[in-house]
Amino acid sequence: MTRVAVTLNVMRNAFRAGLADYRAIFTWKSWLAGWYLRVIAQVAFFALIGERLEDDEKTMYLLVGNSIMIAAVVGVFSLNMTTSERGAGTLPLLVASPSSPVVVFSARGAYLAVDGALSALAALAVAGPMFGVSLPWPDVLAVVPLTGLVAVASYCFGTFLAGLVFRFRSVNNLVVVTTHVSLMAACGVNVPLSFYPEPLEWLSRLLPLTNGLLGIRGVFGGADPTTILGDAALEAAVAVAWMTVALATFNRLAARGRRDGSLEFAS
Amino acid sequence: MPDAVEVEDVTRVFEPRKKKDERVVALDEVSLTIPEGEIHGLLGPNGAGKTTLVKILSTVLLPTSGRARVCGHDVVEETKAVRPLIGIVFGGERGLYWRLTGRQNLEYWGALYRLPPAAVRERTRTLLERVGLADRADQRVEQYSRGMKQRLHLARGLIGDAKVLFLDEPTTGMDPIAGREFRTLIGELKGEGRTILLATHDMVEAETVCDRVTLIDRGKIIATESPRSLGHVISRFQRVDVEGAPEPVLGRIAALEGVSAVTRTEDGGARIEVSEEGATAEVLRRLVDAGVTSVRTSLPSLEEVYVQLIGERGLEV
Amino acid sequence: MRGFLAGFGLELRIVRAAPDALMPLLTAPLFALVFLAIVRQSGRADLEADALLAPVLMTLWWVALQHAGHLITGDRWQALLEPVIATPTSLATILLGRIAALMGLGLLSFGEVLIVGKLVFGVGVPFEHPVEMALTLLATAFATAGTAIAFAAVFVMTRNAYTFTNSLSFPLYLLGGVFVPVAFLPGWIQPVSSGVFMSWSADLLRATVKRDGIGDFWSRLAMIVALGAASFLLGRLILFHVLARMRAKGELATV
Repeated sequence: MTRVAVTLNVMRNAFRAGLADYRAIFTWKSWLAGWYLRVIAQVAFFALIGERLEDDEKTMYLLVGNSIMIAAVVGVFSLNMTTSERGAGTLPLLVASPSSPVVVFSARGAYLAVDGALSALAALAVAGPMFGVSLPWPDVLAVVPLTGLVAVASYCFGTFLAGLVFRFRSVNNLVVVTTHVSLMAACGVNVPLSFYPEPLEWLSRLLPLTNGLLGIRGVFGGADPTTILGDAALEAAVAVAWMTVALATFNRLAARGRRDGSLEFAS
Repeated sequence: MPDAVEVEDVTRVFEPRKKKDERVVALDEVSLTIPEGEIHGLLGPNGAGKTTLVKILSTVLLPTSGRARVCGHDVVEETKAVRPLIGIVFGGERGLYWRLTGRQNLEYWGALYRLPPAAVRERTRTLLERVGLADRADQRVEQYSRGMKQRLHLARGLIGDAKVLFLDEPTTGMDPIAGREFRTLIGELKGEGRTILLATHDMVEAETVCDRVTLIDRGKIIATESPRSLGHVISRFQRVDVEGAPEPVLGRIAALEGVSAVTRTEDGGARIEVSEEGATAEVLRRLVDAGVTSVRTSLPSLEEVYVQLIGERGLEV
Repeated sequence: MRGFLAGFGLELRIVRAAPDALMPLLTAPLFALVFLAIVRQSGRADLEADALLAPVLMTLWWVALQHAGHLITGDRWQALLEPVIATPTSLATILLGRIAALMGLGLLSFGEVLIVGKLVFGVGVPFEHPVEMALTLLATAFATAGTAIAFAAVFVMTRNAYTFTNSLSFPLYLLGGVFVPVAFLPGWIQPVSSGVFMSWSADLLRATVKRDGIGDFWSRLAMIVALGAASFLLGRLILFHVLARMRAKGELATV
């Protein structure tokens, strides 16, 4: 096999392993009752704030922002993956295998990106009509790839954070939840970027979700396709950037772990 | 005065949780009486039903049928009367708050046993000293070794000043020195007039600290004896492992009275099993006379003794 | 009382050693910022106090659901449930102490939102009816604790309870009307919502920061306490049956 074929094969198998894990947690029934119910409730919670403000435009703004937020929420769950890998004692085995752990991880967690995008779109599709927000057809189709990009970028960001907190397993959950709410606060989900002071505005452009969400709002607002494409390109660039940093972090971790023995077989 | 522990025809059946699982009879009409002040060993291999009996006596599990009393109080109905009287030590590393220090753990349990705060502090201090954890008292339990956790368990069981102590494999994971200290401690506890039920699979432990020992296997009581007669039983079944013994010598030994079997081992040696007292000495003499000096005698494992005992008494295994 | 205090102290020590339980204290100020930003951007200064109070209620709910709700399950997994049961102190008393400690910590979020509101947006909570406000917060903490006991008793019998509770947070924020009053919910949900003590708490708490008088304060407060007490009694009842069942089936410990 060629190198590419080998890598693809590794990724395919890792993806399957990830999916199997996921299936062990969720059946489609428990997904609907357990997860999707929360998704709808979360979106409705924020959209209702718009209703309380008696501002239809704001309702629409909150509804779209918080629906797409779901893609980021799921993507960031990639933070948990390395930790669970560590808990299961499989991490050193991965490092010792001829495949790069990052390749394995990213494929193993790819279901998160898929699940995130689907959850976000399903939220939009159901919560939209609930609050009388019309989704312009067929423009709305452009939202699908953009949401996928948001999910992937958030996934990459989560992987980066996983490397960052790798040595402090106990704070993992803390970081996941704080990241969720921070993204909610900083990425133009609930108020436009112009509401923030300028430096913060730039900072939030570096985070996942921000650019992709702008593009999606552009689709709903009938913006110029080149503007939307520009936002999409930025979201993709953010994804690549965070994944690159994640890669570097993990290589350093593996190197350090081999030196000081911190890659325990069981912890 | 009622006996410290009375068990009458206690049976405990675990119904299968899944269809394919089998129904387990963990205790089968077990009866047992432990007078006050006795140290009683409950000796048996893993899965014999020891833990089940300890759990029933400590009020956390119900028997399927039969009755059990602690100091005259029924463990099913009168839990309020039983609980202040008992202390329990379950084996293993779990059962402690890992994020708390040893001292904090003991203080918590002391409060649950309704000791006034000053008494809790005092007892915690003395118990930590008693189990040799005074230096490490303010470290978190997660930093303790297995043996230290085990000693903390023991202190936990003692915090409520129990009249009756149930110890389930309390020395698991202790190093030999700690094990010896533990046995000294048991002696002290007896001196204080406490009754102890010690469940263990360690024959030496049972032999050294117990007044009487009950052998249990597959939920049934096989015998209740004093350790001396138990030791008698066990030493009768000695075995001798030899290397390089000539075939004719082994043949003559096999014919001796009291030698129950001679078997060849895979590495070319042989194992001689003895079933009567005094026969070992004769076997050894014959071996030395034949110039065989690579000889080792050992006691059979508990399970082997069971097989012997059960076989002798014609019980169904 | 001793068991209650033991539980209270235990939980404080556990939290000090492993601050996971304080997670909502990290998110409460962030949620306050999100809510404040929304109302500020819409120019609705009248809702700023409400935006600050919502995260406090969310914190209490979260603690009850994610932490207090799993206390029995956690003890069981660590082989602690059997030795606790075998002590002369009742499990419900210990639990109540542990949950009270958690509620006390949860109420710290009130101080946090005050600070964040002041620092970032220069907004405070107008203490128009301070005594009523304090009473409402206390009654709410009590009712949340009662509900948490019921959660704990149910969750110990539920497989995958962790996955499940993760999903319950926002539905409960919604039903409890923590930010948007229940009156804005669709009509068919409202009867359900009025059975949730949090919706009474949220409405009453919001009333205590308005200059107008609070209508029916005492009866509304009594409603919160009554709903909380009902949850507590129900929780105890469930707990009693769950423990009896586990004692019979030998499930107090996991293998």
